[in-house]
Parts: sequence; C-alpha cells; structure tokens
Amino acid sequence: MAQNITNGVAVKADKVSFHFKKLRAIDELSLVVPAGISFGLLGPNGAGKTTLIRLITGLLKPKSGGIDVLGQPPSRKNARLIGYMPQLHSLYAELSVMQNVSFFAKIYGLKNSKQRQQRVEEVTKLVNLWGRRNDSVMNLSGGMKQRASLACAIVHNPPLLLLDEPTVGLDPELRVTFWDYFTSLTQEGTTLIISSHTMDDAAHCDRLGFMRQGKVIAQGTPTELKEATGQPEASLEEAFLHFIHREEGSDG
Amino acid sequence: MGSSTFTIAGRLMNQLIRDRRTLGLIIIVPLVVMSLIGLSFPDEGILDYIAPAMLAALALFFSFLLTGISFLRERSQGTMERLMASPVSRLDVVFGYLFGFFFFALAQTLIIVLFTIYVFDINFMGEIWQILVFQILVITGSVTLGIFTSTFARNEFQMVQFIPLIILPQMFLSGVLWPVEQMPDYLQWMSAAMPLTYAIDGLRDIMLYGKGLLDVGFELAVLAGFTVVTSVLAALTLRRGAAG
Repeated sequence: MAQNITNGVAVKADKVSFHFKKLRAIDELSLVVPAGISFGLLGPNGAGKTTLIRLITGLLKPKSGGIDVLGQPPSRKNARLIGYMPQLHSLYAELSVMQNVSFFAKIYGLKNSKQRQQRVEEVTKLVNLWGRRNDSVMNLSGGMKQRASLACAIVHNPPLLLLDEPTVGLDPELRVTFWDYFTSLTQEGTTLIISSHTMDDAAHCDRLGFMRQGKVIAQGTPTELKEATGQPEASLEEAFLHFIHREEGSDG
Repeated sequence: MGSSTFTIAGRLMNQLIRDRRTLGLIIIVPLVVMSLIGLSFPDEGILDYIAPAMLAALALFFSFLLTGISFLRERSQGTMERLMASPVSRLDVVFGYLFGFFFFALAQTLIIVLFTIYVFDINFMGEIWQILVFQILVITGSVTLGIFTSTFARNEFQMVQFIPLIILPQMFLSGVLWPVEQMPDYLQWMSAAMPLTYAIDGLRDIMLYGKGLLDVGFELAVLAGFTVVTSVLAALTLRRGAAG
C-alpha cells in the first residue's frame, strides 16, 4: 500500500540539516530510500545515524531542508505508519513481555481486543519469547530484551520500520535469526531502515548509505559500492574506507 | 485526551502493582511519618493544629516525588522517546500520568486521613469526604508539578535536589508549624504564592472549624488554577523533539 502512495519511495530527505547547539549533527543530507527494501545506514559512532533516524520519526525537526516519510512530513498523525526500535531497550522493566507488547499495540491503535491479543501472541512467538511471556522484562537477558523491543516495534505491522543498532549485543545465532526475520519483512513489502556500524550487518542490506560527519558520502547496493572502488573483490569495509579517503581528499 | 490516556494510566498502575516493594512503601512510609509526628506532639491541641497541614504537606511531597522520579525514569530508560514517536499526544501522557498515580495517591491520602483521625484521635469537626475532595486537588496539582519539574532534571540526583528547592520552602512558609501571620511581610508574600498555603488553610477550615467545601471555595479555586497552569506547562515542556 505504501508503495502506491509514495511512488515507490519510503523516505526522501532533501538537504536536511540539524544541529545540537554548535554541533552540526546532520549537514545538508540528501537521501532516497525506496519502499520495500532494507536500507542500511552505515557509519562510525557520531556519524549522525541516530539523529537521522530521529528526524525520520519526527522526534527532531530539521533546522533546514525537508523530509518526507511515505509521502508526507513526519508528524503524530502518520506516526502509526512507523515502527521504531530505539538504541536503548526502551521497555518498562517491571512489566512482563506481553504487557509491554500489548501496551504498544494499544498505543498504536490496535483497538479490537481479540485481534490485538492475537497479534501480541503472534509477535511474541515470532521473537521467540513465548516461553518467557509473563516474566518481567528486568529479569530477561540483554538479547531477550532486544527481542522484546523488536516485538514492540513491529506489533502494529508498520509499512516502515526504523531500527537503531538492532543487532548490538546479540550473539551470532540471534543475529542470524534477526536478519532472517528482517528479510521476510522486506519480502512482505515493509521498508526497513537499519543503522549499524558493523559491516556484517551491511552485507545483509539491499542498499546502503555510508555516513560520515552528518552526510551520506555514498549510497547504492553493496555490489555497486564495492565496484565503485575499482576493485570488484573489495570488501564493504574497504569500500567504506575508499569513500572516506575520497571525501577527505575533496575536503582538503 | 483520548483512549491513549487510559492506556498510559493502566500501564502505570500495572507497573506499580507488579512492583510490590514500592507499593508497600507507598502505604507504610506515610504511616511511619505520621506516627513520628503524632508521637512527637503529645499535646492534643498542637496535634489538632498540625494534622491538617501535615495531610496536605505529605500529599504534596509524596505525589510530587513519585511522579517526578517515575517520569524521569521514563525519559532515562528511553520509553519516553518511544512514546513521543508514537501517535499519543502530550496531553495523553500528562493526563495518563495523572490518572495512573491518582488512585495510589488517593489511597495513600485516605490511609493517612483515617490513621490520623482514628489512631491519634485528633479533634475533628468536618466530613471525611470533604477532606478527600479537597485532597484530590492537592494531589492533582502535585502530580502535574512533579511532571513539569522532572523535565528540568537529567537524572535522579538532580530530581532529588528539587525537593529542598520546591517542597521544603512550602513546608516552612505555608503555615505547617507556625502561623503565616507571624512571619515578616516578605515571607508572607512568598507564602501567598505557594499552593500549599491554600491547601493548609482550606483543610484547617474544614477539619478545625467544620466549614464546608463552599466555604473554602477560594482555596479550591486557587488550587484548581495551579493544577491547570502546571498541566499546561507540563504538556508544553513535553515536546516530541525533547523526548531524549
């Protein structure tokens, strides 16, 4: 449905800038994220990935430039179209897994009690926490909290999912499970924007945006980015460094 | 204010119900404090005078602290960011908190009122329901004051610093221990700007002189006005862009 509304574009940022006091976090950034794919925002800590995600959610307002999310500027009215998994687990520690997921289901407008119950059950099973559904979140391991947080973000079945460093702290097995699930979501038409600083995550994405100092310095498919180095066998890490060096050359 | 208000209120109540220790402390601590106060003033006349003031002061203190810390945790744990990215409005959040804490604060007040009246056997002329109606406004103002204040604190240590800044001056200047009329003029002016002054005046009128709610209409109006102002301020400071 989102593809019809937006002519195949999920997020479009046009010369967006944002600064925290004197720190320029996002610097005239332009970006197009096609609908129905997984888009990786790759960059070192402090590159502006989280700030960009917050701008897309509407938590922050651009100081200049504009952002369209599924064809309209981000606002409370279209917040229902977005699922957001912040970097922190961002869960109510005293509540159980089911209570947390159910709370966000209600907040995101799943009003029918029976349907809500079914959906909460479905996503709790999907993230493999059904056996711990009545446990307080505070008693879960880090990986389990991460899964519960993902369940809260996807419970309302949003067409756009923003995941801020979703695989940090996950063991390799769980990381594979997460990526299997992300792939199945894009196959169903959901757009995923995933921030990460690991090249392992980057390899799973359909398209990537390399970020540095608040700018997207390169974007394309992993293959396109590798080929742009002039060495098709280059790794994504080498491709990233290639674009950083090119950017440094043009800076100075 | 929509269905999200009650969803947020329900979530807060669930959180407190599942946190048995906090729930127990909410009930036990005010009883301990009232017992200490009651035992330190064996003279019945003094206790009669102090009791209404302590009811108001404790309601202000506990509601302010509970809401302030709870709201701060919501921001430091990242759940506020998640809420602000969702379709809920700022008023949903403020009123959700208000309703969520309201029942606990009211239950706490009821326990304190009954304990003070029946265990310490104070001379009491008014109706209990009138005291509770009056206390509802005190609690409501305290909850919204707690939300508003917590937006200026980045962590629990900073939030606790607001107690000597916001609560203690009211305890000293609002007539809890000695009459406001005996204070220097400039302190009386400060006292007139404090909501606890009106809460204490109203409760004393009801409990010591047997006046009705209509007789304390002015004090009720001031407290209602204070609640409206702090609610609006709390909602205004809760910007989507300030969630972190």
